[in-house]
Amino acid sequence: MRGALNTLKYLIAAAALAYPLMPFRDVYVLHVLVLIMVYMVLAMGLNILPGFCGLLDLGFVGFYGIGAYTAGLLTIHYNMSFWLIVPLAALNGAFFGIMLGVPTLRLVGDYFAIVTFGFSELVVLFLTNEIWLTRGPLGVPGIAPVDINFTWLASLLGIDGRWRYAFRGEVPYYYLGMFMVLFVYILMRRLEDSRLGRAWLAIREDSMAAASCGVNLLVYKVIAFAVSAGIGAMAGSFFARWTLFISPDMFKFWESFLVLCMVVLGGLGNINGALVGAVILIALGEVLRVALPRLGLPAETRFLAYGLIMVLIMRYRPGGIFTQVAASTMQSGLIKELRAKLAARRTA
Amino acid sequence: MFEQQLVNGFTLGLIYALIAVGYTMVYGVIELINFAHGEIYMLGAFLTLSFISTGMPLALAVVLAMLAVAAIGVLLDVIAYRPLREAPRLAALITAIGMSIFLQNLAMIIWGSRPLPFPRQALPAFFNEPAFTFSDVTISWMQVIIYVVALLLMVALNLIITKTRIGTAMRALAQNRTAAALMGINVNRVISFTFAIGSGMGAVAGVMVSMYYNTMYPTMGYLAGVKAFAAAVLGGIGSVPGAMLGGVVLGIAETLGAGYISSPYRDGVAYAVMILVIIFRPSGFLGRSMVEKA
Repeated sequence: MRGALNTLKYLIAAAALAYPLMPFRDVYVLHVLVLIMVYMVLAMGLNILPGFCGLLDLGFVGFYGIGAYTAGLLTIHYNMSFWLIVPLAALNGAFFGIMLGVPTLRLVGDYFAIVTFGFSELVVLFLTNEIWLTRGPLGVPGIAPVDINFTWLASLLGIDGRWRYAFRGEVPYYYLGMFMVLFVYILMRRLEDSRLGRAWLAIREDSMAAASCGVNLLVYKVIAFAVSAGIGAMAGSFFARWTLFISPDMFKFWESFLVLCMVVLGGLGNINGALVGAVILIALGEVLRVALPRLGLPAETRFLAYGLIMVLIMRYRPGGIFTQVAASTMQSGLIKELRAKLAARRTA
Repeated sequence: MFEQQLVNGFTLGLIYALIAVGYTMVYGVIELINFAHGEIYMLGAFLTLSFISTGMPLALAVVLAMLAVAAIGVLLDVIAYRPLREAPRLAALITAIGMSIFLQNLAMIIWGSRPLPFPRQALPAFFNEPAFTFSDVTISWMQVIIYVVALLLMVALNLIITKTRIGTAMRALAQNRTAAALMGINVNRVISFTFAIGSGMGAVAGVMVSMYYNTMYPTMGYLAGVKAFAAAVLGGIGSVPGAMLGGVVLGIAETLGAGYISSPYRDGVAYAVMILVIIFRPSGFLGRSMVEKA
C-alpha cells in the first residue's frame, strides 16, 4: 500500500514536471495549474495559524495583498529584480504580521478571528483610497514579468553579451511556481518537526498546559503570525509578477475564505491536506465555470454551488479529508510527552 | 451641521442596532458568528419589494416579509447549523460563510445583480417631508418612522426576553446550554425562536434601509452585517441592550467620522472601532467579561 502510494506520488510528480513540454499541453490548463500553485502556497502559509497553532485567521488575504502591492509597486517604480522583491515582500508581510499580531494575539477564539477580518478589510480600504500610492480602484497595470539576468556572471567570466531571459507565457511561471511550492513545502515539513512546530502544536492542543510547561505563548504566536504573513506576502509577490496587473478587489474577504476552506477541507494542520484542498477547490471552481453555462445556468450559480458545496462538506466531513488524530488522544499523548521530558530534565 | 449629522447618525445607528441584536442573540445561545445574518437583512428588503409588486400595501408587505424571513432564519439553523452543534467551531463558522455566499448569489439569480430602487408609489407622500425643523436641523417623517419602529421593536424584544417564559429559557441557554437542557428546556426550540426573532428584526432593518437610501442590492448584506457585528462587539457580544447601545454609538461614530475625518474611510471607522474595542475592552460596554471556555 505504502509502496503503491509512493509510486503514485512519483508518477504525479513526473507528469507535473513533463506536462508543459508535451505537445498536447493547453494554455488554459497551464494557467489554472499556476493558479493552483499560488493557492497551494497560500494554503500552506495560512495552515500555520489555524492548523498548527489553533488560531483562526480570517484576514490572511490582507498579507497576500500587501505582498502583491509591495512587489507591484517596487517593480513599477524601481524596476527591481524579482529575486530581491520576493524576500522584501515577504519581510514586509511579516512586518505587518507582527504589527497586527503583538496587540491581538492575546485574544482568543472568535475575537481574534474578527480582528484579523477587520484588518484585511482595512487593507482593502487603504488600497482603494490611497490613490497617490496605489492608484486606487484602477489598480496597478504594466508590472514587468519576472526576468533572470546573468549578465553579471558573463562579465565576471569575461564573456561579452547580455544573458537575460524575461518570462513569457505560462511555462516559465509554471516551473517557478513549482519551485516556490516545493520551497514552502520543505520549509513547512522542517517547521513541523522543529522545536518551534512542537511548541505551536502544544499551544493548539492546550495553551494553558503549554504555558505551564514553559512555552512563551506570545513569542511563539508572534513567530507563527510573522511566518504565515511572510508566506502569504511571498505568494502575493509571485502573483503580481505573474498576472502583471493587480487591483484592490483581488484581495477581498472572499479570498481569505477560499484559502481557509482549502485548509479545512484538506484537514487542519495537515500540510498535504492544504495542497489537496487547493487542487480540489480551484479545480472545482474552474469545472463549475465551464459546466454551468453549458447547462444554461446563469454565472451566479457558480458561487451558489460553491457555497453549497462548502456547507455540505462541513456537514459530512467537518474534520476535512485528512482528519488529524482526534484532538483528545493527541492532547493526552502530547501532555504525556511533555511530562516525561520535564521529569527527565529534573532527574538530570 | 454637527447636530444634523448627529441626527443622521442616530438614524443609521438604530438600524445597525436592529441587525446587531440578531447577531448578539445567536452568539449568546450557540456561540456562532452567524455570517449569513447580513443576507437575512438583505432578503428582508427584497421580499418586501416582491410583496409590494403584487399590489400589497406597505405595512402588510413588511409584516409578511418579516414572517417569511423569520422562517428562513429558522430553516437556516435547522438545515445548516443544527447538524454541527457538536462539531468543531470552525466547521460551523465556514458553514455560516458558505450559507452567506449561497443566499447572496441566490438573491442575484432571483432579483438580478443591479441595484433596485424602493418603489416610491408604495410610500406615503409625506415620508420625505420634514417632520420637525429646529434652526438648521431637519428630521424627516421617514426618520421619525424609523425611530418609532426601531424603538417599539426593541422595547418588545426586551419585554420578551425579560418577562416571558421563552425569554427566560433563552437567558438560561446563554448561561449554560447543558444545564438548561437538564432543567427540561427544549434547547432546539429555544434556538429556533432566537433565530426567528433575530431574523425578523433584521428584515425590518433591511426594509427601512432600502426606504431610507432608496436602493437595495444583493450584496448589501455584507457591509451592513459586518457593521452590525461590530456594533454587537462594541456593546458586548451576548448582551441585547449592549447591541442596541453599540449600534447607536457606531452609527453616530461613522457619520461623524465620515463628516470630520475622511469620507472614503467611512466604513473603516466601523472596523477601527471594532478592533480597538476588542483589543482594549473585549467585553464591550455592557458585556460580561469573557473567559476562555474549556
